Amino acid sequence: MEIAELKEKLKVQIIQFLNLTDLTPADIKDDEPLFGDGLGLDSIDSLELIVLLKREYGVNIQDPKEGRKVLVDVNTMAAYIKEHGQK
Amino acid sequence: MMFYIHKAACISPQQTFGDIDIEQLHVAVDNKLYAIEPKYPHFNGNALRRMSKSTRMGAGAALPLLADNDKPNGIIIGTQVSGMEENGKFLNQIIEYNEDMLTPGSFVQGTPNTISSQIALINNNKNYNLTHVHRGLAFENAALDAAMLVNENPAHTYLLGGVDEISANNYTLDTLGGWFKKEPCPSDGLYNSTTAGSLSGEGATMFTVSGNQAGAIAKLSAITTIHSSDVAVVKERIKNFISKELPDGKKIDLLLTGENGDARVFPFYQACEEILDDQTAIARFKHMSGEYPTASSFALWLACNFVGGILNIPRHMIKRHGDLKSLKNILVYNTHKVGQHGCMLVNVA
Repeated sequence: MEIAELKEKLKVQIIQFLNLTDLTPADIKDDEPLFGDGLGLDSIDSLELIVLLKREYGVNIQDPKEGRKVLVDVNTMAAYIKEHGQK
Repeated sequence: MMFYIHKAACISPQQTFGDIDIEQLHVAVDNKLYAIEPKYPHFNGNALRRMSKSTRMGAGAALPLLADNDKPNGIIIGTQVSGMEENGKFLNQIIEYNEDMLTPGSFVQGTPNTISSQIALINNNKNYNLTHVHRGLAFENAALDAAMLVNENPAHTYLLGGVDEISANNYTLDTLGGWFKKEPCPSDGLYNSTTAGSLSGEGATMFTVSGNQAGAIAKLSAITTIHSSDVAVVKERIKNFISKELPDGKKIDLLLTGENGDARVFPFYQACEEILDDQTAIARFKHMSGEYPTASSFALWLACNFVGGILNIPRHMIKRHGDLKSLKNILVYNTHKVGQHGCMLVNVA
């Protein structure tokens, strides 16, 4: 899967998994921070995102330090999936 | 004395929240009466998007009653299905992902006591917190719990509620069981139906109750639950309930009945009507709320508003006007799936 296509798919899945019903994929910028001032996600959402990566892409994030680097924005998530994804 | 009802709020398929208007009937769509939900401006975005519908409705209906920073001495909720939609999602995830990596969201929102817990979190309330889940008598049992607490602590205030939502899974199962109509049925034709089943409904109703009469809008003076599928037994029990609980010289001014267009359940409602004289007014509410396990809480909300003089009985509710002149004593009778029956006697405060 091309990286651009992967990012679009990720946006759809983020909306679906986190029930962000007032957003569309077009509302989420590739470099928009997932937490804090960006999408405003919180710690429970980070757990949902880790499960998303495991279920949909076979990506395991077990080290919290690694998780902080991956769950920054859609760009970092897509890059990590490209490198470590097994599905 | 059971308890006095001081405040009441209701989110239902009718315009019962905010600018209340029960004269205009909001009708069923595809045999379902979905609740008209407010915007919930008091919930932050992250909390709101995680809530199941029943939690949203329950907490949303409770908030106006807690607006004065009131902290009730207990939160008591009756619900059968609660967040069944989220519960279904969680159970499907167990199968879909082979019991691996389950997320907390659907699990937390899919458990019945999430509603009372969410209200407690919003209210920062660490007092008594209990959820009753006895199917069609969940609300009646919650009310009995509140009554026992008020009996012990008359000065205390309790938040009492009844909440249930329409879930796709339960709707399908209950339709297969014949509890919801298989053929299209308009709301205004519900009581003319001669087939099995009713319209599906949902809602959340909240009350603040205490033993303090001052400022109350209504009094719930008696309640009984009956487990029987025998019409004669139920009729006798209701008759005894009225003769025991209604003071001498008083009469039932209005029977608020849960008649629901289900031919199998109609004999119970007919039997209840036969106990009362033929001049007693009768009103029905299931064309407004639809059928759900805690629909009797919607009836209690109506009864409180009627005896409290806050709302008039709309024409579309009236089955028999009788000699209705004043509203001082209302009998609410409701049955769920034939075997569970509840009676509540509501009086002016």
